[in-house]
Amino acid sequence: MKTLFRNLTLALAFTARLSAAEPTASELAEKLAALQQDGNSYVRLRLDVQRPGEAKVALQIQIKQRRTANATEVVYQVLWPKERKGEAVLLRRAGNQPLTGAIFTPPNTSRALDAAQGKEALFGSDLSYGDVLENFYTWEKQAIVGTETVDRVPCQILESKPGKGQQSSYASVRSWVDTRRFVPLRVEKYSASGQVVRRIDTMSVATDDRKRHIPATLSIRAQKDSVTELDGSRLRHDVIYEDREFTAGGLGEMKVPRTAAE
Amino acid sequence: MTFFIVVIRGLLRRPVRTGLTLVGISIGIAAVVALVGISRGFEQSWAAGMKARGTDVVVSNMGSALAPKPFAANVRDRIAKLPGIAATCSIFVDMTSVEDSSMMIISAREWGGFSWQNLKLISGRMPTDAEEPAVVLGQTAAEVLKKKLGDTVQLETKELKVVGIIDGGALVENGSLIISLPLFQEISGNEGKINIIDVRATPGSSEDDVKRLCVAINSVVPEARAMVAGEHVGNSQAYRFISAMSWGTSLLAVIVGVLGVMNTMLMTVFERKQEICILLAIGWKRSRIIRMILWESALLGFFGGIGGVLIGVAGVKIMETLPAIHGLLEPDLSVGLMINSVLIALVVGVISGIYPAWRSSRLTPSLAMQG
Repeated sequence: MKTLFRNLTLALAFTARLSAAEPTASELAEKLAALQQDGNSYVRLRLDVQRPGEAKVALQIQIKQRRTANATEVVYQVLWPKERKGEAVLLRRAGNQPLTGAIFTPPNTSRALDAAQGKEALFGSDLSYGDVLENFYTWEKQAIVGTETVDRVPCQILESKPGKGQQSSYASVRSWVDTRRFVPLRVEKYSASGQVVRRIDTMSVATDDRKRHIPATLSIRAQKDSVTELDGSRLRHDVIYEDREFTAGGLGEMKVPRTAAE
Repeated sequence: MTFFIVVIRGLLRRPVRTGLTLVGISIGIAAVVALVGISRGFEQSWAAGMKARGTDVVVSNMGSALAPKPFAANVRDRIAKLPGIAATCSIFVDMTSVEDSSMMIISAREWGGFSWQNLKLISGRMPTDAEEPAVVLGQTAAEVLKKKLGDTVQLETKELKVVGIIDGGALVENGSLIISLPLFQEISGNEGKINIIDVRATPGSSEDDVKRLCVAINSVVPEARAMVAGEHVGNSQAYRFISAMSWGTSLLAVIVGVLGVMNTMLMTVFERKQEICILLAIGWKRSRIIRMILWESALLGFFGGIGGVLIGVAGVKIMETLPAIHGLLEPDLSVGLMINSVLIALVVGVISGIYPAWRSSRLTPSLAMQG
């Protein structure tokens, strides 16, 4: 009887351990990377920038994205306020190649973007062009460096470092990942000297059209006393884009994509 | 000295402690009034919106989001053929951030559909046709967006002219941006899609007829669900979650209140041990001692309940004025909710007093001499 009880206890303990097994660093990074490389999608969000001593700047933005494992193309377009309507940024990156793109200012001014401008601010926010494109979960070096509770949610701390040939303005990035929902609740990006250059906090989590948990509201800090908030109001996948929309020439056109027929 | 004077004096013996206990219960009850009032009000304002549109049955697919999931517009044709239906109106309702407002209701309605008929123009006019790049604002929406006739509203990539301001007869209607369905489908990339069908039953239909109509619609429309108007929001996962959260949070606050009252009453019993023993010695029955303690805790609950209702109502009124939610809240602060809240507080008071009362009944007159 004693043996039976002991074996049962061991079996139960083993099962419990299996079900509670946390993913490894590479599994976690792979899963998070795949969530970002989710094909064609369309996002509508509100971007608020609050700088010390200045009035808050609010922008309504639409984002068109084509993200795959091999390439990322993103277009950000300002919808509102009226005086900034039409401002647009195209950002592209193929594999580990440097960032390229274009900036469009209405009525018809357009200039090219190159990798050297990757650190510049997107629409004056605390987010850089490089941040928009970079998928640091695909970097070569991934390691779990600890656990911590963020907003009462237990998180694994995943540290990502670029490998050889992987270009980034950051030396490392740490993500506090809620492994139950696979959502990073905090991301810190570090310089080579170990200073936090940028911190991104997830303020709220929502479920998208594919029933995945995604950050719905983000708070980004890159400078002292300055904060940018991104508040997503819509995310659609499987939308149809024309190639022209991801060219410098197409930046001046503003349209909402249609969803592919079901 | 009457029995009730003894009860009142017992409470006033430690006014600060009694006051703090009252504040504790009041906060718990205020949470009940505010949270439950807001979640019930949300459901009722949608029901009022349906009534204002003259809708008997709503066909939608309420999932986990606040707005229903889209489905093909031709579903309407299958419904319209059913007997017992006087009219149908296709709608696309969306909740999204518009200009400076973080959340607005967009109500895109089939051009010429009956859902337009109940809108009373306060100023301006209705759009001239389905394609006119124009929007009609509910009076609360106009206030929130700070728009007047002739201004423009940026909706997705299009600038729409405000041609009318309406009174829709319900908060949901008054807080909406109302536009023609084809125009919204075009600018939002949702061509051929809707997410709600309003159905009007033939005049003279009874409640049972409307329920039977729902069953008939459900049999021909597997992609959505027909419900009697007003019930559809209450059946959505999101609303159920919000409602459960409201009650859950309120319950926690009430449990804290119970513990607070119980603690106060236990302290009272311990401190007044000698007095209770003397009362027993001069002939008070144990049942009378129990009643005295229960009355004290019930009074704490009662007054805490009244305080909680006042705090809850004031809190909700303040929340209504906050810019982020102005125009989106229509809390149900009915007399029924207030009476229920005070009753909950009273029951909490009585339950909290049971253990201290039992402890007091275990005392014996001889303990009075021990000091």
